[in-house]
Amino acid sequence: MIKTEKLTRTYGTEELPVLALRGVSIHIKKGEFVGIMGRSGSGKSTLLHQLGLLDTPTSGKLIIDKKNTKEFSNKEKSLFRLKNLGYVFQEYALLPELTSIEAVSLPLMMIGLNSNECKIRATQALEAVELGDRLNHLSYELSGGEQQRVAIARAIVNTPKILFADEPCANLDSESSDVIINLFKKLNKKLGQTIVMVSHEPEDKNEVDRVIWLKDGLLDNQQK
Amino acid sequence: MTKDKKGFLQKIQSAQTTLNDLKVATFLAIKQVTRSNKWSLFLTISIMSLVFLNIAFIAALMSGMVETMNSQAIDTQFSHIKIEPPENEMFIKNVKSLKNKINHLNGVIGSTAHYKTYTQFTYDKRKDGQDTKIGSWIVSSMSPEEEKKVSIFHNSILAGEYLNKNDRDKILLGKDISGGYTSNFIHESLGGSSGLKIGEKITITYPNGIKREYTIKGIFDTKNLFADAGAFVTEKEMEDMLQVSNQATEILVKTKNINNTAKYIQDFRSIGITKEKINPWTEYTGIITDITESMLMIKILLTGIGLFVSGITIFIIIFIGVINKRKEIGILKAIGMEKHTIVISYLLQALFYALLGIGGGLFILYFILSPYFAIHPLDFPIGLVYLEILTKDVIINSIALIVASIISGFIPAWGVSKKSILDLIWGV
Ligand SMILES: Nc1ncnc2c1ncn2[C@@H]1O[C@H](COP(=O)(O)OP(=O)(O)OP(=O)(O)O)[C@@H](O)[C@H]1O
Ligand SMILES: [Mg+2]
Repeated sequence: MIKTEKLTRTYGTEELPVLALRGVSIHIKKGEFVGIMGRSGSGKSTLLHQLGLLDTPTSGKLIIDKKNTKEFSNKEKSLFRLKNLGYVFQEYALLPELTSIEAVSLPLMMIGLNSNECKIRATQALEAVELGDRLNHLSYELSGGEQQRVAIARAIVNTPKILFADEPCANLDSESSDVIINLFKKLNKKLGQTIVMVSHEPEDKNEVDRVIWLKDGLLDNQQK
Repeated sequence: MTKDKKGFLQKIQSAQTTLNDLKVATFLAIKQVTRSNKWSLFLTISIMSLVFLNIAFIAALMSGMVETMNSQAIDTQFSHIKIEPPENEMFIKNVKSLKNKINHLNGVIGSTAHYKTYTQFTYDKRKDGQDTKIGSWIVSSMSPEEEKKVSIFHNSILAGEYLNKNDRDKILLGKDISGGYTSNFIHESLGGSSGLKIGEKITITYPNGIKREYTIKGIFDTKNLFADAGAFVTEKEMEDMLQVSNQATEILVKTKNINNTAKYIQDFRSIGITKEKINPWTEYTGIITDITESMLMIKILLTGIGLFVSGITIFIIIFIGVINKRKEIGILKAIGMEKHTIVISYLLQALFYALLGIGGGLFILYFILSPYFAIHPLDFPIGLVYLEILTKDVIINSIALIVASIISGFIPAWGVSKKSILDLIWGV
């Protein structure tokens, strides 16, 4: 599903470069639930942004769903993200003016579904995250965990090939975190959803199929 | 599939995408407006309404002033068409038959002929030659009945009465000759601040030396200072003084359609008025055009300030909106929304504020200010001024406000939407 070869990403100026990724080669298979772990500043988020087409690598090869992403124009990237990728971030950042069902409908509207289809599929997605009874709530009427679940519903409503999550539980208490992690596991097991999740909770390594460890922008094969 | 067909399908597809983007942008705009804070929405629309009202009011007031000046010029000086003697001649000849022919033309309401002559006025207050006041003014003649069809002097009598056909030693004075009343030129007038009274006597010396004493029969006030510095005697009286008959210095013609003067003038030419000068009223109102032009500068300036204020208002609202939603916008972009869709959603909001502002402003203008001023017109020295709302002005000002709003909304919306996804979500 995802394959990288010597992926690098350098920030900053030529005189003062920050080598966030220094050549990462990985392979993530369809249906895998992969964790990306490592110390703070090790390049986890940076790697996720490259895999999720939210940023452009400095060098290296990135193949997603058999497509060489280097050849994508900006417009094609947008469209590819819309149709094939889903994201859950640390901040839920739901538009305050939208109800849960409207927020989840948005990606469907963007691919051109009519309002009836949007409604049906958004409702299904919200039911999948156990928010079937919060369809018409505005974001400030929901708890943090519930908002994050709306964000997850928004991420999966287009049935993406890969779901990316960057520390989705960082702002949540442990109880809500468990709900989210269990939700991911359920999506992975029941629907075969491919998931790539960045986490710095050590116990999360037991929840995922496999962990990609990072250290200073490189794969860290010492960790177990 | 042939290449042509493929290109065609691509075009259809991209048109559909554009349409869909517009739909999504509209959806976002509607939700952001309708679910925003009601008070700030109300205040925004109020500001936009007041700005538009301001612009539209200034335009309507200035048009009203021009309208007042124009109708005064028409009603007291030039009517719609003015006929003057041929080059190098003092008078128009055969006036009676000319007027008769003109009055029978289609579209003519009436015509009136005037003799006009410079004269000297003398007012001997105590009738002892000790305290006399002298001044020069033009005296015109009129046939009181035919004059009524063309001008408004009969409706502008301040004191006393209008002239009668057979009056001989009676005179009608403008308020700026009599003084008193509401005269603007008390010191130049004969009667000073107290003004001349009905029944008092003045002496007029004609250019040919003839002197004649007149009793003041009436005093008029048209609010047109060019007309109010004039005086009238009857046609018979003037013909005797000047020792002429059946002639005139000018003939004024009032028509049914003020916009059709060119055609009427053609008609006049075709019935044999060939040598005389014939001009529409607009030829004589150069001063009004000058005043209008200087008012235009004020209008542009005030309109510009109004548009600037509305632009800043929209800019601030959209700017605060997008700055507070950097993360949300970043995530919309991450999901796959293109920046033009986000920008359009904010432009639609700006458009919405502008349209409601225009609506609110027009509502106040048409249903509150205009009816109010119709009952209580502004009493300017140039006359009563009503609000004259011109559709042309409303359209131009509306478009200007919409354009200003859209530009002001575009700048912050574009500035934020063009940032990269990571910048927006993790912000630097
Ligand atoms: N936009 C940027 N400009 C410059 N340097 C950056 C930028 N983003 C990240 N970096 C640097 O790249 C390195 C990797 O950052 P990254 O955010 O990927 O770490 P991380 O593993 O996600 O850390 P954390 O667990 O704290 O989120 C860090 O040294 C960071 O300072
Ligand atoms: Mg990180």
